Amino acid sequence: MNCAWDAFLSLLPQDMRHEVNKQGAKSLQELRLRLGQPVEMVLNGKSTWLSRKARPEDLSFVVNSASRYSPWSASTAAQGYITATGGHRVGICGVCVIQNGIMTGISKVTSLCIRVAKDFPGIGNGCDLSGSVLILGPPGSGKTTLLRDLIRRRADAAWGSVAVVDERGELFPVGADFYKECRTDVLTGCGKAHGIETALRTMGPTVIAVDEITAKTDCDALMHAAWCGVDLMATAHAASIQDLLQRPIYRPLAESGLFQTVLILNRDKSWRRERVRL
Amino acid sequence: MSVKWIGAALTVAACGWFGYLAVNAYKRQESYLQQLSQILAYMAWELEYRLTPLPELCRKAAQQSKSPLGQFFVQLAQELDGQAAPEVAPCMSILLSKSGDIPQLTGKALELLGESLGQYDLSGQLKGLEAVEKYCKHELEKLSYHREERLRGYQVLGLCAGTALAILLI
Repeated sequence: MNCAWDAFLSLLPQDMRHEVNKQGAKSLQELRLRLGQPVEMVLNGKSTWLSRKARPEDLSFVVNSASRYSPWSASTAAQGYITATGGHRVGICGVCVIQNGIMTGISKVTSLCIRVAKDFPGIGNGCDLSGSVLILGPPGSGKTTLLRDLIRRRADAAWGSVAVVDERGELFPVGADFYKECRTDVLTGCGKAHGIETALRTMGPTVIAVDEITAKTDCDALMHAAWCGVDLMATAHAASIQDLLQRPIYRPLAESGLFQTVLILNRDKSWRRERVRL
Repeated sequence: MSVKWIGAALTVAACGWFGYLAVNAYKRQESYLQQLSQILAYMAWELEYRLTPLPELCRKAAQQSKSPLGQFFVQLAQELDGQAAPEVAPCMSILLSKSGDIPQLTGKALELLGESLGQYDLSGQLKGLEAVEKYCKHELEKLSYHREERLRGYQVLGLCAGTALAILLI
């Protein structure tokens, strides 16, 4: 039993833990709680259902245990997710509170999706690590897990250090026993664009790694860092390079030719290497 | 004869003691509300600058306060660590029912605090703390209204009631 799994179980109401542990200790990927509906467990990509229905207090329990009764302290709670101890991401759906056009909170939680953080050291073996690496894949394909392992390998191999801008605290989370190379500096909780800039200025890295680039500012910061002579490691939601090139946000990044290696992940966790052809 | 006078003196002393207890309870209400106000101010400051999670926040506030009420916050942190209930408010209620020595007004303020904690956004959370702090200040103002006269009144009333009772019994 690892401490990340223990941390996951501690997120759940007491009367749910035994069943989830029994069925999902080895293969649970996601646990979904929808108000008034049976609890869904996604085991190796297949759904199974617990007979128990999710009650409002179950949803409150998960949100409060994930945030240690302090949703305000998780700066992302108002954006609809909380990263719990152990790196497990709790996605929140419900009735949003909007003030001045900005989402400031969720007044009634109706659904939760808890993604189990897992670590597979060595899954990146065989990847060519020279230059910058971009990992593409759909949600749940293992981008973060692969990136984590590549960061380890790069930190082990590189002269110099790897700065990890871990906005969501999922790459090297607090409370998880995920192995980290000693030449790794992790900046957690701050926005990617700001974090890249900070890491570049203050940590003198040879490589900067970020998970899930989603905004134009992230891409601009990555390009700026690359032009300063730093190698990049990043992940993005895309099914292929063509898919990436069709998105206005990502296109300049792909066209810049900064990434020598592009790894495409599939839902079944297999991956292939491609080159960017414009 | 002397037994009669001793009995009368004891009656006066006992009634005076009740007056003293009433004064003590009044001062205790004030003291606890003041302690809570200080703790709330510290919590607001700590949240604004450090976004400290609630169990740690309670422990830090207790450490900072070094008051009898601080111990209550240490116990609250333990309840939260132990995941005693799905939300803060029931945790607070459980603890209040366990600790019977919290004055009534402070207990009410703590219940309000329990209900206000657990907001998704910092500004909402700070507003919640501010509302409880306002409640404490309002109650303190009410307590301070004619404070000296009231305190003297309780003591005098105790002694006078005791004297009257002693005279009646003699």
